[in-house]
Amino acid sequence: MGKIKVKKSIAGINERIKRGDAVVTTAEEMVELVREKGEVEAAKEVDVVTTGTFAAMCSSGVWLNFGHSDPPIKMQRVWLNDVEAYTGVAAVDAYIGAAQLSETRGFDYGGGHVIEDLVRGKEIALRAIAYGTDCYPRKEIEMTITIHDLNQAVLYNPRNAYQRYAAATNSGEETLYTYMGTLLSNYGNVTFSGAGVLNPLSRDPNYETIGVGTRIFLGGTQGYIAWEGTQHNPTHGLGTIATIGSLKEMSPSYLRGCTIRGYGTSLYVGLGVPIPIINENIARTAGAGEEQLKTELLDYGVPRRDRPVVREVTYAELLSGKIEVKGKEVPVSPLSSFKLAREIADKLKGWIEKGEFFLNPAAELLPRDTAFKPMKQIGVVPLAKDIMTKKVVIATPRDSIASAARIFAEKNFDHLPIVDQNGKLVGIVTSWDIAVAVGTKKRRLSDVLTPKVITAREDEPIDEVARKLERHGISGVPVVDAEGQLKGILTTDDISMLVWRRRR
Amino acid sequence: MIKKVLLRYSTQRATEPILASVIKQTGVLLNILYADFTSRGGEILLSIDAPEQDVGKVIGLLKQRGVEVQELKRVIQLDEEKCFSCGACLSLCPTRALRLADDYSVKLEEDKCIYCEICVPSCPVQALKISKYG
Ligand code: SF4
Ligand code: SF4
Repeated sequence: MGKIKVKKSIAGINERIKRGDAVVTTAEEMVELVREKGEVEAAKEVDVVTTGTFAAMCSSGVWLNFGHSDPPIKMQRVWLNDVEAYTGVAAVDAYIGAAQLSETRGFDYGGGHVIEDLVRGKEIALRAIAYGTDCYPRKEIEMTITIHDLNQAVLYNPRNAYQRYAAATNSGEETLYTYMGTLLSNYGNVTFSGAGVLNPLSRDPNYETIGVGTRIFLGGTQGYIAWEGTQHNPTHGLGTIATIGSLKEMSPSYLRGCTIRGYGTSLYVGLGVPIPIINENIARTAGAGEEQLKTELLDYGVPRRDRPVVREVTYAELLSGKIEVKGKEVPVSPLSSFKLAREIADKLKGWIEKGEFFLNPAAELLPRDTAFKPMKQIGVVPLAKDIMTKKVVIATPRDSIASAARIFAEKNFDHLPIVDQNGKLVGIVTSWDIAVAVGTKKRRLSDVLTPKVITAREDEPIDEVARKLERHGISGVPVVDAEGQLKGILTTDDISMLVWRRRR
Repeated sequence: MIKKVLLRYSTQRATEPILASVIKQTGVLLNILYADFTSRGGEILLSIDAPEQDVGKVIGLLKQRGVEVQELKRVIQLDEEKCFSCGACLSLCPTRALRLADDYSVKLEEDKCIYCEICVPSCPVQALKISKYG
């Protein structure tokens, strides 16, 4: 790359912001500029690039301080609108997390909603219990509060604003409800998060300007980057930040509680980071087009930690609304609002231009070389193939109803898998099907079999199979390999045996 | 009056001649809002803009020809105050009644909606609502 041609300091940029002649562009505008004039010219011209994102960020919450009652209480457990907050700290401090569910309303209401209601100035029912001490004799308290009654309400989010996020699809035969939204069966749709070129951390992927103390747009006001985010993984292009700011100054336009179907509650957080263009290297990354931003499309149909990669995709493709998956055109849903991301970048730009927002140099840059470790495994999670019954009585579609009736009479089970000449599962016949068919004109199993069978894959973890059985209210599933060949059968009895053994 | 009906049929019946002949017989214009065909059959969403009597005639003729006709007596609403255009609903909508406008805001074209309801519970802020009438 050679010698750096443009060098600017954050102090110099702040000087220009003060004078009102700093040049600010949004990331979208910067992409155009770099395309047109190249990174060196763009670096000379532009002082700050603004970014924005508005996405569900579960790792968010608020530190609250309620003040002391008379007589005082050392809150042992506390609920806000029936959503429990963590109180394992000093007497009247508590942390309400976005993903905590209401104890009375379940998925419909949670910590994210409490946070939004606080910001809206609504009344919140507060309830606390305590064991009582000499210094804190009170044992319970019930009242309503608003945000104005709190001493502090500090939004502190341990992990926000992923640098990029994998896109999701589902190869399975059932619709899945995930934190990546509703995923239709058979690659029916694709979802992704992240605001493309506006995505804050994607503009400084080498962490040359972003660090602890960087002033940012957070929830409609000015906040800060507090630390690297949990799971910060810049080595794989998956950096994150922890953010902090005063909830009392935030706006409900940029902080919204939400329910993600089948998953739980969360908080949509509006966040924007200003990127100071201190040299042409930053100009280049801040102006990288969405065709250069790649991520992976993962198959959530496989319920493992390491989900298979279906293909690599660019944000340009994802933002077009349709992408090709396995030879078929599939509709795409963004899960984060591009419209609000743009609004945030524009707003931050306006603040800087008007001299209402100054850059704060990072006290310390974020680490660039950490990777993210998976959870330590306690024992190995068994897979379907580990405990399934491998010797399975089977039949073919051409077999007679009478022969199946004989099998059911002799053996003690209710489900007979039907396979074709290649061993591929083509259906299932139950003892009930046979009971109904006897005495009718039906002769062959092909006349009575149910072709749509709920199956488990060989490498599916037992916990997932157990969930499947429960969801469908069935007592067993045939186990197949990737080609649909019947490999065994797994029943609720097999699973309870395993659980029983595990407990011992 | 405008009435929306959903037609379902199996492949054994060629629908195009059916629709054509119904149009010819009644003189009523049928507007196809959405159509989906699979190997097992198809679905067509029609809007019929005609006096009530003629609408009845069209539905009668379709039924006579063995097409399953379902009248859609529902309305869908997108609460623009609540919706923040996240787009979670977009890829779920089978008819593209929900779409992204040029300014990246999410828009609903009720004309194309077949009230499948899949979008409703998938909206993170309950901005979509379907209600029945009639
Ligand atoms: S899912 Fe709800 S909030 Fe998101 S775009 Fe659709 S209607 Fe709007
Ligand atoms: S109910 Fe929702 S998803 Fe279904 S067609 Fe109407 S807008 Fe589309």
